[in-house]
Amino acid sequence: MLGLGGDRLWADMNRLLAFLFHQGVLDEQFLQLQQLQDHSSPNFVSDVLSIYFHESERLLSNLRSLLMDREFWDYKKMGIHLNQLMGSSSSIGAKRLRNVCLAFRASVDHNNRPGCLRALEMLEHEYCYLKNKLHEYIQIEQQRALAAGVRYPAQNN
Amino acid sequence: MAALQRVTQSSMATGVSSYGTCKGGGAAAIENEVSEKFPSGLRVLVVDDDLTTLRIIEKMSLKCHYRVTTCSEATVALNLLRERKGCFDVVLSDVHMPDMDGYKLLEHVGLEMDLPVIMMSADASTSAVMKGIRHGACDYLIKPVREEELRNIWQHVVRKMCNENKEHENSCSLEDNDRNKRGNDDTEYASSVIDTAEGTAKLSKKRGSLKEDDDDELENEDPSTSKKPRVVWSVELHQQFVSAVNQLGLDKAVPKRILELMNVPGLTRENVASHLQKYPDLVNAVIVNCDIEWQKFRLYLKRINGAAQQQNGITNTVSGSMESKLGGLGRLDIQALAASGQVSPQTLAALHAELLGRPTTNLVPTVDQTALLQASILSSKLYSAEHAVAYGQPLVKCPSIIAKDFPQSILTVDGVSSGYGAWPPSNTIGSVGRNNNLGRANSPASVNQNGIIARNSLIDYSLLTPQSNHSSLNIAQFPGEVTKTRGVLCGYMAPGSISPATSAHSVGANNSNIQQLQNSTLTFGSVRPMPALASNVSDTQVSYSGTKSGDAMDQAPARNLGFVGQGTSIPSRFAAHEIESSVSDFSQGKISVDSNGNTVKEEPSMNAFTE
Repeated sequence: MLGLGGDRLWADMNRLLAFLFHQGVLDEQFLQLQQLQDHSSPNFVSDVLSIYFHESERLLSNLRSLLMDREFWDYKKMGIHLNQLMGSSSSIGAKRLRNVCLAFRASVDHNNRPGCLRALEMLEHEYCYLKNKLHEYIQIEQQRALAAGVRYPAQNN
Repeated sequence: MAALQRVTQSSMATGVSSYGTCKGGGAAAIENEVSEKFPSGLRVLVVDDDLTTLRIIEKMSLKCHYRVTTCSEATVALNLLRERKGCFDVVLSDVHMPDMDGYKLLEHVGLEMDLPVIMMSADASTSAVMKGIRHGACDYLIKPVREEELRNIWQHVVRKMCNENKEHENSCSLEDNDRNKRGNDDTEYASSVIDTAEGTAKLSKKRGSLKEDDDDELENEDPSTSKKPRVVWSVELHQQFVSAVNQLGLDKAVPKRILELMNVPGLTRENVASHLQKYPDLVNAVIVNCDIEWQKFRLYLKRINGAAQQQNGITNTVSGSMESKLGGLGRLDIQALAASGQVSPQTLAALHAELLGRPTTNLVPTVDQTALLQASILSSKLYSAEHAVAYGQPLVKCPSIIAKDFPQSILTVDGVSSGYGAWPPSNTIGSVGRNNNLGRANSPASVNQNGIIARNSLIDYSLLTPQSNHSSLNIAQFPGEVTKTRGVLCGYMAPGSISPATSAHSVGANNSNIQQLQNSTLTFGSVRPMPALASNVSDTQVSYSGTKSGDAMDQAPARNLGFVGQGTSIPSRFAAHEIESSVSDFSQGKISVDSNGNTVKEEPSMNAFTE
C-alpha cells in the first residue's frame, strides 16, 4: 500500500517536472541538481531551493526598491543584483526566470526605465510561479521520502 | 612508492608525458598529493556571494572527490588564502561580489600565491570574459557550472605547473639569447633556427624602440638583472602594468612601451617582459587567430631543430609569439613564413625541403606572379605578408641610426633565408627592394638620410644577389616615378638595379616598389603633420600600422587614382592591388583579419578597423 503510494508520488513528480520542462520553466540543470542529491545529503534539492528562494526574495525586493527610487537610479547596483539572480537561477535550472533576467538586464543596460519596470513585473510573476511549482515539487518529494522511510524498515524485516 | 607514482601517472588521462616533464621543483608538492585517482583530493576554494551556487558547487566538488572549502565573501577568502598558503590548489571565484570584485581577488591571488584562478559568472558577455582573462584567470565558467566542467578543473593546476617550469627554462634561454644577440648584433642572426626565430622576435622588439642605444643599455644589464632578486609584483604595480597594457591596447603593448608608461624607477624592461609572459592570456586573447600559424611555425622549428631543443623551441616560440605579436614585426615575419608554408605543399617540412631544394623556382614565380597577375591568392598573401615585414622593419628602425640599421635589416632577411631556408635569394631580393622602399618611407624625414639608406641597401644588395642583368629595364621604368619621388630616387634605383630574374619579373617588382614608394611618401606626408602619430610610427610597427591604416584609408582613393594615372606605364591593376594588399596586410598584422589575401575583402575590414 505504501509502496504503491511511493510509485504514485514518483509519477506525480515526473509529471510535474515534465510539465515544467515543457513550459520552459526549468532546464536540464535542475536534473543535475537532482542527481547531486544522494544518501549523504538526502534533502539537498529542497535545501538548495530554500536557499534560493530566500536569496532571490531578497534580491527581488532590492530590485524593486531600486526601481522605485525616483530620484536616483542605480543601474550598476541593479546590474549586480540581476547578475546574481541570474547566476543562482541558472544554477538551479530556472530557465525562464533567467531569461527574464536577461531581458531585464538589457533594459537596464539601455537605461530603459519602462522596460525595467515591465521586466520586474514579469520577473516577480515568474518567480511566484516558479516558487509555487517548486514548492509542489518539494512537497511531493518529502512525501516520497516519508514513504520510502516507512518502507525501508519493512524491507529489512 | 615509485611504482605507485607510475600508476598515478598512467592513470592521468591527459598528459602522462606532460606531467612527467613538469616533474621538477614545484611539481613535487602536487606529486605527493597525487593519489591513485589523481584529481580527487584536489583542494578547491570556492568563493561566491550567491549561496545557492555556492552550495551547488560545493556539492558537485564533493561528488568529484575534491576537498572543497567554500566562502561567501571575497575578503574572507583572501584572508583564508593568505593564512593557509599552500593549502589550496585552485580557486573558483565569482566575478561580482559585493565586498570585493572578483577581478581584484583574482589579481591578489595571482600575484601573491600564484594559484590558478577560475572565474565564474552568469555574465557571458565577451567583455566580461575578456576582462577575466586580462586579469589572469585561467578559465572562465559561465553559470550554471556543470559537473563535467568542474570535473575538469584539475587540468589548470597541472597546466600551471608545467607553464611555470617552461617559464623558468624560457627565461634562461631568453637571457642566453640576449647574450648571443649582443655578440652578433649586426652580423648574423642565422646561427641557429631557434636563434633566428627569437632574433626576429627580439629584433622586432628592439626595432620597436626609438632609442636603440637606450635599449642596448637595458639589455647590457641583462646578466646582472638575471642575478638580481626578482621584482616583486605588488598589486599596485600589477595594476599599473595592466592599465598600461590597456592604455596601449593589447596589440601595441610591447614591454618597452609598458615600461615607459608605468614609469617605475628600478623596473627594467626585462621585468616587464617576463611579467608579460606571466600573463600570456592578455595577449593570446587578441591573437587567437594567428595561433594556427604559430603552431605551424612551431612544428617547423621542431622539425629542423630536432627533439633536443624541442622544449626550448616551444617555449621560445611561445615567448616569441607574445613579444613579437606585441611588437608586430616579428609576428609578421613569422606570418610571412607561415604564409609561405601555405604556398608550398601543406606541411612545413615539405616546405623546408622544397625551399632548400629549389630555391628560385618556387617562390620567385609566386611572388612575381602576384606582382604581375595576382594569379594566386595564396601567393599574393605570401608576397604581401613578406612585403609588410620588410616594409615595416626599416621604417621603425631607421629613425635612430639609419646608416647602421639598414644593412642589419637586410641581414635579417638574409638570415631568415639561411636559417629557415624559407627565403630563397630571389625572395631576399624582393624584400631588399622593399627595404629600399622602406628607406624611402622614411625619406620624408630627411632626404639625405634617405640617400644613405639607399646606398647602403644597394651595396648590401649587390653583395647578396649575383644577377643584376635586367636592371636596365627596371631603370627604364623608373624615371617616370622618380620624377615624383625626388630624394627617394637613389633608394629607388637600388632595387631596380638589383632586381633579378626576367625583365617581366623585375617590372613587376619595380611596380611594387613604385607603388610602395608612393605609399610611403603619401602616408608619411600625412603622418608628418601629426607628431604624435609620427612618434608612434617610429616606435612600434604595430602602432605604425595603426596610423598608417588610418591615413591609408583617408588617402586610399587619392592614391589609387594616382596609381591608375601612372598605370599607363605599368600594369595599373597590379598597382592598385599592390597598394591595397600592403595596406591590408598591415591590418592583418594587427588584428589578424581573416587572411585570405583577398584585397577586396580586406579593404572593408580595414575600414572597420579604422573606424
